[in-house]
Amino acid sequence: MWQRASLKQRLIVLMLTAIALVWLGAAAFTYHDAREEFDEVLDAHLAQTAALLLVQTAHDLDVLETEHAPLLHKYARRVAFQVWEKGQRLRLHSANAPQQALTNNERGFSDSTIDGKGWRVFSSWDESGTYLIHVAETSEVRAELAGDIAENLLRPLLLSLPLLAILLWVAVARGLLPLVSLTREVERREPENLAALDTSSSPREVMPLIERLNRLFARISASLQKERRFTADAAHELRTPIAAIKAQAQVARAASTESERNHALDNAILGCDRASRLIAQLLTLAQVDTLDNSVMEACLIKDIAAEVIADLAPAAVAKGVELELLTDAEVTVRGNPELLRVLLRNLLDNAIQHTSSGTSVQVNISHEPAAACLSVSDNGPGIAEDDRARVLERFYRPLGTQASGSGLGLSIVKRIADVHDATLQILAMSEGSGLRVKVCFRA
Amino acid sequence: MRVLVVEDDALLGDAIQAGLKQAGYAVDWMKDGVAAEQALATEPYAAVVLDLGLPRLSGLEVLRRMRSRHQLNNIKSNQSTPVLILTAMDTVDDRIRGLDAGADDYLAKPFDMGELAARLRALVRRASGNAEPMLQVTGVRLDPAAHRVLYRDKQIELSSREFALLHALMLNAGKVLSRTRLEEQLYAWGEEIESNAVEVHIHHLRRKLYPELITTVRGVGYLIPLDKLPQDEDA
Repeated sequence: MWQRASLKQRLIVLMLTAIALVWLGAAAFTYHDAREEFDEVLDAHLAQTAALLLVQTAHDLDVLETEHAPLLHKYARRVAFQVWEKGQRLRLHSANAPQQALTNNERGFSDSTIDGKGWRVFSSWDESGTYLIHVAETSEVRAELAGDIAENLLRPLLLSLPLLAILLWVAVARGLLPLVSLTREVERREPENLAALDTSSSPREVMPLIERLNRLFARISASLQKERRFTADAAHELRTPIAAIKAQAQVARAASTESERNHALDNAILGCDRASRLIAQLLTLAQVDTLDNSVMEACLIKDIAAEVIADLAPAAVAKGVELELLTDAEVTVRGNPELLRVLLRNLLDNAIQHTSSGTSVQVNISHEPAAACLSVSDNGPGIAEDDRARVLERFYRPLGTQASGSGLGLSIVKRIADVHDATLQILAMSEGSGLRVKVCFRA
Repeated sequence: MRVLVVEDDALLGDAIQAGLKQAGYAVDWMKDGVAAEQALATEPYAAVVLDLGLPRLSGLEVLRRMRSRHQLNNIKSNQSTPVLILTAMDTVDDRIRGLDAGADDYLAKPFDMGELAARLRALVRRASGNAEPMLQVTGVRLDPAAHRVLYRDKQIELSSREFALLHALMLNAGKVLSRTRLEEQLYAWGEEIESNAVEVHIHHLRRKLYPELITTVRGVGYLIPLDKLPQDEDA
């Protein structure tokens, strides 16, 4: 509940609590201080009264007939005195004073309770030691005074808290305005709108949030764009083989000779093979693109290479190409074995396709400083220097490439290398023509 | 009728070449933009089928250069030859760009072979200033789509070369076409041209139709006059 409360409510509750606490603290201190002060003043007053009474008593008590003095002020009802002769006989007292002694104390201040009534008493003997005087004040007076002070201190707080709450509400609302407008802007956005949020009018506190959001928007928009481009490219790339199949089929239907028909039909079948290979490669690429590298394990490259070479041997033999596996050590690499097989298969496919018959394609596995490397070399025409970077782009086919290529093989290899944090190099063979593609995994 | 096909995809190019041959065209097939440009600079074509995504030189660039080339003294520059763009990129923007660069028609892959042939016929017809699908000159009617020639409402059997020759002459009725020009119209690159082949075909045409249809301009070439009436019609 508290976690979900609005920022505004939270701020207001916290601020009001803080204000009330400080105020109460100040009030408590003031109250305490005031109480001490007036206790002292009232005590002094009692002592003063006692002193006066003593002086009076010394002179006039003999002539006084009355036993009690008249009350002169409303507070006088609460102030009482007793004059005891020798401390034994009550000679004089105020009307409101009890009959028994106000205190047993004979000198200085004391507190006592008589008939359930609290008294603050000052006692003193006159100079001659004849009379004991108690001057007292009901504790009620002090309690009442203290209550008044406390009330005066707390009343403004109670009155001002609601007013403060209203003012704070307005102030907080104004203070949070930039946040509200930011929320509105995000709320109003179309889901497709991935443009960056305006940072010019935003408060410093939300800048990191906006920057994060903007970075996220940028990333999403980039990946969306990539996906759209890929889909468009893929659709576009599939159109040409399908157009070829259709056109070949129509040529076959209209052919006037058997050989013309067969040529067209063979080409139509080739076109189908090519389209299905392209689709398979597209699926592989999509698979690599969506793969997280959670399925990494230690892979023995030699075993993977042997497996892939065995798979491709029939195709190589059919083309008159020899496949060789050269390895100098047991090289282990952390990776996804399925993807590593796809990587090597693509490299070997390319090499077998481009090398001339009667030559060999070599798979080399080697240890290098801080890396484990896998390379595939052929004796084909190689790739021109200018084209080497571009062949990694999807669907790029250098001039003179056979139509059977999907234009995706090396981009798949590149993508798998990226997933494995491996480097990919396209090199010319040192002697004569040929291509060497080298993938190095960090050791 | 000689057309240039520019397509980098081997299977598709092969199919277009075969299909257009079936439709009676002599077809040159180029696989990249630079080769296409060279072909356009040296050979006269009745029409061009152009892919856009070409290696070395993009299709649009080929088209732009072809349209902006000045004729100079070379009549073979193909500056106004009709061009049909054949491409997998078929958004409206792509079409607009293609047409604005000087294309006459646009066909998206995958396409129908028959439609491609028909569109080419229409382009060639319009380029020769003729909206009528049937060509008619002095009693002879030629239907390019059906590959038929009618003379006095009777169908005349012609070989495909004879048909192509008659088609070229009728399209350019009233103009003299040189022997070389006619040869270029009949044969694609790499096809062997038999010596005096044009003479032989002209001879056959005169025999199958009527002798006065085609006039020989000695040392220059041949023409079909616009309004010459066959003599035996009077008889």
